[in-house]
Amino acid sequence: MLISFGNVSRFYNDWPALENINLQVQRGEFLVISGPSGAGKTTLFRHIWMGDLPSIGTVEVAGYRSDRIRKSDLHYLRRKLGIVFQDFRLLPERTVFDNVALPLQVAGTSPKAIRRRVFSLLAEMELNHRRGSYPHELSGGEQQRVAIARAMVAHPVILLADEPTGNLDPEVSRMVIDLLIEINRSGTTVILATHDPRQVPAGTARFIYLDRGHLVNPSIWDGYRQL
Amino acid sequence: MIHLLKNAISEGLLNIRRKLGSFLITLLMVSLSFMVFDIFLIISWNLGTALKDEQENVGIEVFLRDNITEVESVILADIISGMEGVRSVYYVSPEEAEAVFRADLPEQADLLTLLGPQFHLPASIQISLHPDYRNSEKVGGLARTISGMDGVEDIVYGKEYLPGLTRAVDILEKLVILAGLVLALSLSLVVANTVRLAVARRALTVQIMSIVGAPGWFVRVPFLGEGLLTGVTGAAGSLLLTMAVSWMLSSSVPHEFLPGKWIMLVLILGASSGAAGSWIGMKSGIPKPRS
Repeated sequence: MLISFGNVSRFYNDWPALENINLQVQRGEFLVISGPSGAGKTTLFRHIWMGDLPSIGTVEVAGYRSDRIRKSDLHYLRRKLGIVFQDFRLLPERTVFDNVALPLQVAGTSPKAIRRRVFSLLAEMELNHRRGSYPHELSGGEQQRVAIARAMVAHPVILLADEPTGNLDPEVSRMVIDLLIEINRSGTTVILATHDPRQVPAGTARFIYLDRGHLVNPSIWDGYRQL
Repeated sequence: MIHLLKNAISEGLLNIRRKLGSFLITLLMVSLSFMVFDIFLIISWNLGTALKDEQENVGIEVFLRDNITEVESVILADIISGMEGVRSVYYVSPEEAEAVFRADLPEQADLLTLLGPQFHLPASIQISLHPDYRNSEKVGGLARTISGMDGVEDIVYGKEYLPGLTRAVDILEKLVILAGLVLALSLSLVVANTVRLAVARRALTVQIMSIVGAPGWFVRVPFLGEGLLTGVTGAAGSLLLTMAVSWMLSSSVPHEFLPGKWIMLVLILGASSGAAGSWIGMKSGIPKPRS
């Protein structure tokens, strides 16, 4: 099991952001987590990259357990993850090339290997002509593709995409979802948090639903009315 | 690992280049703060040198009785030279004392002639002391011991001015240490505050670095390096400014510039306060990654 949540609850001042979550994700899976705003999707993601730790229960990700991991080892876990955010979080003072190269630089990859990998990935994502541009010079779709390239550059085991289409128009959103499906087909485990699971074609992913911090049985989930 | 270290260093240099303006302002602030310290050090150094010169001359002069023979005087000098704190002794015979008197005070040489051949200056033993013994307490103790010895008529050792001199040297030393500590602390806070602001400006960078798997030290090294560089360059800048001021004032106020050891001390203080400041700034300023 690549990711495992065992009876995980997270309280903020007694308010339950997550409650009694039991979840397993296998290697190579495409998991879609949906639910309305405030359902706990982002909190669940934070527990995967261990930016937050459970109040009760244990999270295990790629062999790292939340109750045993040391602060000094967090970066080893995070190097196995690629994370994409709704607001892209590209560094404004760096070019596309430098943004994409960052995960390799912090991992100590040689400059030659960085150039080779970044050029190849940018070409793959049709962004090579934009490598010298700064984020503010790009469209929203291009910025999100750069963010996905940054997440994928170090060959992560898991790609976490937190509402990656939240700031994009429908056409560009579809392209981003297609890109995530493609990434999953190449073997990377993809976990997508979205308030609109209908973006993802049925049969390509497993769907789970979060509502006010609880995992909800899909057959009885009526959250679509809230979307 | 080597690439990682190189990347961390180039990250730090890149950070400085990206905000060169504010880096230079910080540098000026640190330089001016250190300049106050440098001027204080120059005053302390020159004052200290003058006091030490004065202290260097601290010794004991033992005047001997008229009836003591030269052999007894030499034996007494031998005993004194074996005492703790005594560096050397020198026996001055009545003839030598008269020769010195005539050489030092030629206008009063007639006085000796007037007093007649039966008058002679007393023989004496001049005692030079070890540096640790050149304070009022130890000189006083030694003088009391010697004054009780046979053949000793009188003892002169600057009883009046020595306590004041000892106290002045003591206060000056403590003042330099205290002012140094206070200034190092205040400089650390200035640099810490500047770095904390810099960290706040780079919160997104710090956050993204942490999320993409940068080790803690990779995030910290550029900030520490920046603090260290700010501190040492600011200190060096202050020395140059102070040197210019010192040169301009040298004709009207004769003084010496700081010796090499003190210059090194200022630079080390600059480097360490800069690094310490960065550390404090990072500890309180690096934001926790948000979701």
